[in-house]
Order: sequence, then C-alpha cells, then structure tokens
Amino acid sequence: MSKVATVTVLGPREEVERLWHELAAERGADLQASFRTAPGDRGTEIRVEVPGAPSNPVGQAVKKLSGDDPLAKAKDELRRFKQLFETGVIARSDGSPDGPAVERQLKQRPAQPLEQPERQKAGV
Amino acid sequence: MRANVWSGRNTVQVENVPDPKILNDRDAIVKISSTAICGSDLHLYDGYVPTMKRGDILGHEFMGEVVEVGKGVGTLAVGDRVVVPFPIACGNCWSCKHELYSVCENSNPNAGIAEKMFGHPTAGIFGYSHITGGYAGGQAEYARVPYADVGPFKIEDDLTDEQVLFLSDIFPTGYMGADFCQITGGDTIAVFGAGPVGQFAIASAVMLGAERVIAVDEYDYRLQMATARAGATDAINFRENADVVEQLKELTGGRGPDAVIDAVGMEAVSGHGVVQAVDRVKQAARIESDRGAALRDAIMACRPGGIVSVIGVYGGLMDKFPTGAFMNKGLTLRSGQCHVQRYIKPLYERIRKGDIDPSFVVTHRLELGQAPDGYETFKHKQDDCVKVVLKP
Repeated sequence: MSKVATVTVLGPREEVERLWHELAAERGADLQASFRTAPGDRGTEIRVEVPGAPSNPVGQAVKKLSGDDPLAKAKDELRRFKQLFETGVIARSDGSPDGPAVERQLKQRPAQPLEQPERQKAGV
Repeated sequence: MRANVWSGRNTVQVENVPDPKILNDRDAIVKISSTAICGSDLHLYDGYVPTMKRGDILGHEFMGEVVEVGKGVGTLAVGDRVVVPFPIACGNCWSCKHELYSVCENSNPNAGIAEKMFGHPTAGIFGYSHITGGYAGGQAEYARVPYADVGPFKIEDDLTDEQVLFLSDIFPTGYMGADFCQITGGDTIAVFGAGPVGQFAIASAVMLGAERVIAVDEYDYRLQMATARAGATDAINFRENADVVEQLKELTGGRGPDAVIDAVGMEAVSGHGVVQAVDRVKQAARIESDRGAALRDAIMACRPGGIVSVIGVYGGLMDKFPTGAFMNKGLTLRSGQCHVQRYIKPLYERIRKGDIDPSFVVTHRLELGQAPDGYETFKHKQDDCVKVVLKP
C-alpha cells in the first residue's frame, strides 16, 4: 500500500527540480518525486509516493507513536525542502531545534534556549 | 538570563535559563527592554491551550535592542531599537508574499502537529505553545528572533516603549478586527470585550470612520476606559442586563450593528447563568475547548448581510455554533491571528502623527520578577487591571 505526500513550493519547476536533485544526498529518505507546475503562479507541486506504510490501522498507530511512520517522515522531508528552497534556512525552534521531525514532535523539549551540547547535537 | 516560564495550570515562575544563541543565519538576538502580558497568555495560563510543556518561556509582546545579528540579516545592526511582531514569518512563501504573515508556511517546525489540529499548519508564534512551533517567548531578558530581516520593526523616534510596544500585537490585532469590518461612514460597530485588544478595536473603528461604536463587557472600569479613552459612543454591561442581542437592537433602531468584532475568544462568559454553566462544564470536561457565548451573540446581533470579525483567540471546537443565523442572515465571517507585519508601519505612522497614543491601556508596570503577580492580577481583573507591562 502506498500513500502520497505533497507540497507546493513557490518557484519555477526547473529550479525546484534542480535543487531537489542537488539535495538528494542530504535527505533522510530516498524519495521518488514527481513535479507539476501549480496553477495561478503558485509555484511547483511536488508529489511523493511513500511505499511501505502499514495497511492496517493498528500498524499505522504503532508506527506513528514510535515516530517511525514513513509517510510522516516523507512529509517532514518535503517541509524541510520547501523551507530550504523558499527561505534558505531550516525552521528551528527551542522545542524543535532540528526543524520539522516527527520524532521530535512527540518529544518536544521545553521552549527555552538550548545549552551548548544540545546545540552541537542539532548541528547549530 | 531570567525568564518567566509556564509551570503548569495557573502557575508561572521566573527562573534562570540559558541565554539564547543564533541558530540560523537569519536570526537576531534582542535584549528586551519592555514586554507585556497578553490576554491570550491567560488561555495558556488557564491551561486551555494544548501542547504546552513545563518550562516554556511565555510572552509574545516585546521590544528591545538588537545585540547580535546573523550573517543573513542585512536590515538590522547591533544597537537598533526594534518592536518584534508576534507571528514569526519567513517573508518568502506564498502566504507571506500576500501579506498573510500569521499563516506563514515555513516558520512552524511543528507543522505536523498544527496540521492535525487545523487541517493546515499556521505560523510560528513566540511563547505560545508547541502547536505554534515551540519558540521561547519574550517575557525574558533576551529573545532569539528568527527571520529577523522580516519581523523586527525599527523605531527611530524618541517615542517611549509604552507608546510603541503594542505594535507587537494588540494594536494591530484590534486594528485588523476593525479593518475586516469594511467600515464606511455612518456604520455602527459593536465590540465584544473591552480588554486591551477590544480597546484598540474600538479606537481603530473610530479612526476608520465608524459613527457609533458600542463596547460590550462585564466590567464597568473597562467600559469606562472604552468610552473615555478609546472612543466608544455607547457601553453595555451584560452583568446588568444579560440580553446583549436585544440591547444592541434597541441601540440601533432594531437594525443591529453593521459589524460585530469578537475580541473575547475561547474563555467567553455569558450573563445568562445557565448558558455560562453549561459551557464551563463542557470545557472543563474537554467536551468543547472553546466557550462560545461571545461568538454566538455576535452572530445573533449582527445585522443581516453584516460582518462578524473574530480576533479573539479560539483553539479547537465550540458547541452550538448558530449556523442557521449565520447562513440565513447572509453574514460574512472574517478572522485570523493578526498579520502584524502588514499593519505595523502604517500604525507606527499613526502614532507618530499623534492620531493615537497606545499607552492609554497600561494600568500596571512591574519588574519581570513580579510576572507571577502580574498574571494573577490580570486574570482576576484585580485593581482595575487592563494591561500589565513587565520590565526585565
């Protein structure tokens, strides 16, 4: 059973595709994407088929709770790509210093500044 | 540094926490000179907003001096005096390009949580739970400000902190509420809630040309500020007469206000004891997250074809939304967290020109260490409290 993750990135299709391929090595998952120009100057739609998601509801719930849901991870990758393309940076907060990450959403740290070891761990 | 942190329902405390550092090239660090407690902080304090964590630094209304800038911020320099808008917005996405800053598509790293609650993620907000990103807030000595080339607004006049601090949230929020009403000469606007945002909604409706502005609240001292300082022409205290809808019709020859602004939100109270009790029980039992007394009355009172403008904060679901009145009267519902970056410059110009001095709402000035007292005083409306400003 495959599921689909999508995002719209504000930029021309050629530029979006180029950066997508440039950043392939940095992505946490090997995602096969298709691209389509969005109507109304909205940018470029990226669509990713996510194989391997469990088909039964119990399996899906377990994957979600363990932070090991391939669909959620694919959505994170699309959000991170959109952030990098549009803003040049990953959105990092005190609660989520690594940026969008489903594992972190389940285990937020308090919204107060990071100590040096935590910053190192987050690579900032 | 010292910061005011949430420690569970009805508890905040000032603690020592690490100093913020630059995490991205587009960040800046601001040394805070003034910060305020917002009515929407009370929703967090009261425990009605999910995804809070013990230790979260609160506060989304702050200003101060830039002390460090990331190498990607070309618009600010160390020493600049800035007011920081509460929505964190990238300035690059489609929403930001269309001045819809509070629904920025990139600034919320916890987009996955927000998507489950709201269908789509919304922008990051300083000090306002983890559903809006988990960003440390500004009730502190310092704050890290992401996308500092987009948000912080430079103050280059000798206006006092109290004259410009509320550009961070409550003045633009009240103004947006009035702006949504598409006011034309002769309009009558009702404003539910005469708290700080309500006061600025009233003042803004007057600035935008409303002929009559009717303030609705349960506290006489707030209604007095609304008429004496913000410019309301009429006041309704629903503790004296709970039937707000009838009173608004009486005041408008049966027509109803052309637009109604809900500056109350999820902790609305009703003068009708039974309605209030039912809503409180449902909220306490988590059957509904949002009490609907103000929004229901706003919809019932608004004239057919009018506008209901919602700037009071709601967080989840409310019971008994009057869909029949909303649909059959042909109302328009407009709402949102304020797109502060859209309004901050024109409103700053209004302050500079002397059209308004926003400091009129300030009733309490406290040192940051007294933040817990400030929350209690504000929550319980003690000592005629309207607005608390904290000095780190």
